Amino acid sequence: MNASVIDTTAKGAVETEGRDGRGEDDGTIGRSVKRQDLLEKATGHAKFAGDIVLPGMLHGKIKRSDVAHARIRRIDTSKALALPGVKAVLTHENVPRVLHYGSPHPRSASVTRDQYIFDNKVRYWGEGIAAVAAISEEIAEEALDLIEVEYEELPAVFTLDEATAADAPQVHDRGPGGNQVIDPIRVSRGDVDSGFAEADLILEGEFEFGRPTACYMEPNICVSQWDGNDKLTMWSSTQTAFMVRGILAEVLGVPLNRVRVLVDHMGGGFGAKQDLFQHEFLCALLARETRRPVRMEFSRKETFLGGRSRHPGTMYLKQGFRRDGTITARQARITLNTGAYGSHGPGVTTVGTTALTSLYRCNNVDLEGRCIYTNTPIAGAFRGYGVVQVYYGLDIQLDEAAEALGMDPVELKLRNAVREGDLAPSGHPIIGHGLEDCLRRGAEEVNWGPVRQATRNQDGVYRRGWGVGCEMHGSSAYPGIKEQGNATVKMNEDGTVTLLTGAAGLGTGAHTALAQIVAEELGVAFEDVSVVHGDTDIVPWDIGAFASHTTFMVGRAAQQAAADIRQQLLAQAALRLERDAADLAVRRGRIVAVDGSGSSLSVREAVSPTPGIPAAHLIANGTYTPTKSYSFAAHFVEVEVDTETGQIRVLQVVPVHEFGKVIHPVAAAGQIEGGIQQGIGHTLSEDYVVDTSNGRSLNAGFVDYKMPLAMDMPPIRTIMLETAPDPGGPFGAKGIGEDPIIAIGPAIANAVYDAIGVRFHCYPITPERVINALAGTD
Amino acid sequence: MKRMITVTINGEEQELAVEPYRSLLDTLRVEAGLTGSKKGCNVGDCGACTVILDGRPVNSCLVLAAEVDNCDVRTIEGLQHAPDRVHALQDNFMQYGAAQCGFCTPGILIMGKALLDENPDPTEDEIRFALAGNICRCTGYTKIIEAIRHTARQLAEERQGVES
Ligand code: FES
Ligand code: FES
Repeated sequence: MNASVIDTTAKGAVETEGRDGRGEDDGTIGRSVKRQDLLEKATGHAKFAGDIVLPGMLHGKIKRSDVAHARIRRIDTSKALALPGVKAVLTHENVPRVLHYGSPHPRSASVTRDQYIFDNKVRYWGEGIAAVAAISEEIAEEALDLIEVEYEELPAVFTLDEATAADAPQVHDRGPGGNQVIDPIRVSRGDVDSGFAEADLILEGEFEFGRPTACYMEPNICVSQWDGNDKLTMWSSTQTAFMVRGILAEVLGVPLNRVRVLVDHMGGGFGAKQDLFQHEFLCALLARETRRPVRMEFSRKETFLGGRSRHPGTMYLKQGFRRDGTITARQARITLNTGAYGSHGPGVTTVGTTALTSLYRCNNVDLEGRCIYTNTPIAGAFRGYGVVQVYYGLDIQLDEAAEALGMDPVELKLRNAVREGDLAPSGHPIIGHGLEDCLRRGAEEVNWGPVRQATRNQDGVYRRGWGVGCEMHGSSAYPGIKEQGNATVKMNEDGTVTLLTGAAGLGTGAHTALAQIVAEELGVAFEDVSVVHGDTDIVPWDIGAFASHTTFMVGRAAQQAAADIRQQLLAQAALRLERDAADLAVRRGRIVAVDGSGSSLSVREAVSPTPGIPAAHLIANGTYTPTKSYSFAAHFVEVEVDTETGQIRVLQVVPVHEFGKVIHPVAAAGQIEGGIQQGIGHTLSEDYVVDTSNGRSLNAGFVDYKMPLAMDMPPIRTIMLETAPDPGGPFGAKGIGEDPIIAIGPAIANAVYDAIGVRFHCYPITPERVINALAGTD
Repeated sequence: MKRMITVTINGEEQELAVEPYRSLLDTLRVEAGLTGSKKGCNVGDCGACTVILDGRPVNSCLVLAAEVDNCDVRTIEGLQHAPDRVHALQDNFMQYGAAQCGFCTPGILIMGKALLDENPDPTEDEIRFALAGNICRCTGYTKIIEAIRHTARQLAEERQGVES
């Protein structure tokens, strides 16, 4: 029924703990059980934050600046306030002035404190400068136009070159100077000079990265309500409910138990919904001021202006190779444009820079990453977090080296592929040979040698090519953030199970995977486990859904809690069976003796009340503090280039992913296919463009910002390997969320080269760029 | 000035008071309390708000409520046959994992239904073409297309079963 394949043959099936010797078909892990969220979603009954309606609810709107860099000399809200139906207007003059982090990991090195709710300055075109609450959206919109603003314009910087020039105007008065958000990130191992001296071939190149954005389908939205006890309840479409709670409480000056953040279903995030956005503060403040619930929803245009993009930037990359293909040295200078605020810039710069220590092994590296402010929209977290950019250049340069050395790219990549025991970017030894397995399996699947041969000597208008791209990506944000996954598991007196988790449901199926892990560990049916999530007053604390860590980290915590419940359950059963708990096990929902002797009990009988024994109250917590594990992928891609129009079509993709253990094959394959869609997007067409003469956004909408849609998407034949399980993950599982968006980019660029013999060191590779390049080379 | 319209929504005739500028989407979501249809852009670019209006799929954010006086509207809430009996398309979207975040799903299901009503045996290209105006950012469309194709086959088998 499904085109994807799980292949465990490369090194045999994975041994996992906690199975109690049960047979293969007992388990729920590895089966595409019915996702618990899909019935609601398919019937239109799933409640998203935007579906919340409260009596007396007002509508909030944000006025956005139409200059890129200015001091606000005067802001007059009197006419807006006088408009009938307007209930409150906020500006920098009447909101709390608290310097706060944009991204919600206050205690990590990944973020920087450089934002106010409203400042008396604007730093990019489209930044919010005032907010209105009114009885209808239309009146709120009208009021925005009545707010008078007088700006004192300041010189602005829109490009990295302008921002890093010697006498550049400064976007912030903070940081180490030169518009840097933080001091440069420097990583060095070994000795690059001697590495280059040893090389038979040295390649260097400049790469340039566009500005793709997440374009989740649900625009940012929140609804706020203060109750009579001065407690705030906020429904928000966020990946990081507890972080939103934390920063809100800090800025509003209230304790954590007076802020409750709710998020049930959310319409995608892809990393970009893990900042604390201006509208979340403003919505809470407008609700407090008016004592009425306030709803604030971004328009699609605002998701561009007020949202977060991937970091555009540049990279200089130089590598040395021996004749046999061994990499002897690697040097890189990465410069990322974070826009007007730091957001995740420091984290993205760190993760991207350190990623270059690995993937293809190299003992001598000298890397530097810089993160630069400009007067442009804010770049933040987005699936692939800095790694998308650097591996694009790294993998393309490997492809170039293969040609220069007269080697096949797969052979060269295999020669240098990261291996078991190598130091990962996080500083941990790599587990398993995942990357090699992916390369070998993919090459075999597509019949690599012959299909490449078939693309030689083409001269028609349409030319085809094959390319391969590789990646590895960490599950969890360690060591940048010391993370913690938590879970609470309860067994009810009828034997059913409730899992409480703070992990957000972005749509990945994570809650179903967590329920599967609990069911597997406990030995009960998946259908007997339900999941409660999305309420900061009820569920255990959670850092947020990001860094491909939910199944890996929260999954492990859930597994621990379930193991604890199993012990409690066996103790209960021991009472009732009058046997030693150590002799008992749970199998298919029944408690039996390990040696098969004596009578058995259903789980329900073991916990429900019987004469003389009250109902059991079983509850357990699990907490897991992970380090990091790495997943791997190789993507094989066939493209066709129209040499007249410059149009590139992706004809097919064969992604091979290794991520330890596949918990839910359909959901996992769905992650891969969706990541590939977004990766094709940023590689070929998606670029949020800012006018470099005045900072205006030029394509803040779905017509001008071009994403791959149903007609553009190629067939995808997904292969999932389980050859390098991580003992730190539940049943060996590692993350999968971010990986698929990374390898597809260089795979396409390499395939385009194979087709037309032109190297692109940039994305997106637009038809215009193809035409210009072909004209230049013809 | 609000005006009254009479509209049949999911088989039930309703009288609604609507502002002249109110879109059908907002009317469904706010006045009729049917929040299944989603607002992804409000300008006709994403298809999350797709409903069937007098038998044809439309972006309800582009239709004024005042225009649907005396019309028939079918939304995602009216796709299932009964509270406990979902449409084959819905069932297959679940089976195939054709929904992830679910925000595009109501619009895509409605578009899929409109397609199969008109063309019971669409090719893969015809399905892709029908979905050209529906943005899904999560799935890469692979599983959506599998689910629609499988539904078409299933419905064809059911029809044959009835005939024979
Ligand atoms: S909301 Fe109607 S097309 Fe996007
Ligand atoms: S499932 Fe999320 S947009 Fe389609």
